[in-house]
Amino acid sequence: MPYRRPQSKYFISILAGILMFSLVLMTVNARYDKVNLFFESIVVWFVSPVQSLFTTATNSITDVFDHYFFLVRTSSENDRLLLELDRLSKKNNELLERNKLLERSANLTEFIGEDERPFVVAKVIGYDATQWSKVIFINRGTDHKVEKNLSVVTDAGVVGHVIHASLKSSKVLLITDSRSAVDSLFQETRKSGITVGIGEDICEMKFVPISAQVSVGDKVVSSGLGGVFPKGLMVGTVVDIVKQDHELFQDIRVATSVDLSNVEEVVVLLSGKEGG
Amino acid sequence: MNYLVLIIALVFLFSIQTTFLRIIFPGNVVPDLILIVAVYSGIHLKKNRGVWLAALVGFFQDCLSGSLLGVNFLSKGLVGLFFCVIKDKIIVQGIIPIGFFMFATSLVDGMIYFMTMTSLLEGQIKVNYLFSSIILFGVCNAVIAPFLFYMFDKARQWLHRQFPTQVFESI
Repeated sequence: MPYRRPQSKYFISILAGILMFSLVLMTVNARYDKVNLFFESIVVWFVSPVQSLFTTATNSITDVFDHYFFLVRTSSENDRLLLELDRLSKKNNELLERNKLLERSANLTEFIGEDERPFVVAKVIGYDATQWSKVIFINRGTDHKVEKNLSVVTDAGVVGHVIHASLKSSKVLLITDSRSAVDSLFQETRKSGITVGIGEDICEMKFVPISAQVSVGDKVVSSGLGGVFPKGLMVGTVVDIVKQDHELFQDIRVATSVDLSNVEEVVVLLSGKEGG
Repeated sequence: MNYLVLIIALVFLFSIQTTFLRIIFPGNVVPDLILIVAVYSGIHLKKNRGVWLAALVGFFQDCLSGSLLGVNFLSKGLVGLFFCVIKDKIIVQGIIPIGFFMFATSLVDGMIYFMTMTSLLEGQIKVNYLFSSIILFGVCNAVIAPFLFYMFDKARQWLHRQFPTQVFESI
């Protein structure tokens, strides 16, 4: 009869414990998704000040390299021009949206008035602890009225939405994450679809009928449906279209309007009328 | 005191993982320091402490990521347990074994993540992207792990001299 060491039983019980505990965690997380888990907030609370410190130090070092060692003036000038370009693009986008809405409906002014929301500016202090999820950490939390499901944007367009808010920091799920979905429409044709993340640096627009006229370079904006993102925010630009006759929908790839790998500051659109 | 040092080290490690590494590795592939710590603790910590430390860092990683809570606890816990069981039976020291095992555990870690994402959360992930990114992830970890193992060894020896307790003791 083979001798079985007590150690094996111990390892089997550990294995069972790990499986059980992870299953419980996953079930609780999936089932009660709307609830902020206490220990999650504690860990974020512990780490976020150090993250902030690291980000500031890293930014200072990279800033020195970018602006003094590599290119003394060109880089600063380029940064300024890019900001100006972003501002003008946003302005242009706003004007286009306003024009389209005026053409369609006399209720436009009222809608824009309703859509003016308070906001809070936040700094990106960290990224996801794994390489698989597309999440960033920002240095604003419930102290600044940031809460779950608020939209996060920049001048250039949609960044993502808040999935967890701690006291002084929050987690933002980027639109490129495979769990993200933004109800969108094409700025010109007003055909609608859903922009979903696929885990890469690019998104896909789903449920656009095969008959819809779409071309590379078309702008995609948020439709306002879904209750997270306000209408008319830039989502991205069409970069690739695949049409197959036997399919009901087109395969459309959309490049995000915001460079999500290099975002430093974001704006969180608050839900209430107070704040700013 | 030893637990305080451990907590500070973990906070430092997670801060590097979530900030500094993205600057050094701006692409889609970023090494997973937490996975390397899980493998290291499974191999080097005395008795079965490696399992618990690996599971603990996995749990912290869950809290600091957007993935489903429990995924990294599961993958890192299993990795820690695996190395705790096999460390006395096969060679797990040296650059080539470390590189090989890191590559293999990276594949397992990535697969567990993608399986839970696609099955439980119904995430949309392209298969070709999945395989290419997991393989690159594995290679990246395998290349970095031997250097980090060396650094961890040195840090552990220093800690053991400063705080001669059981936690940092070698196997």
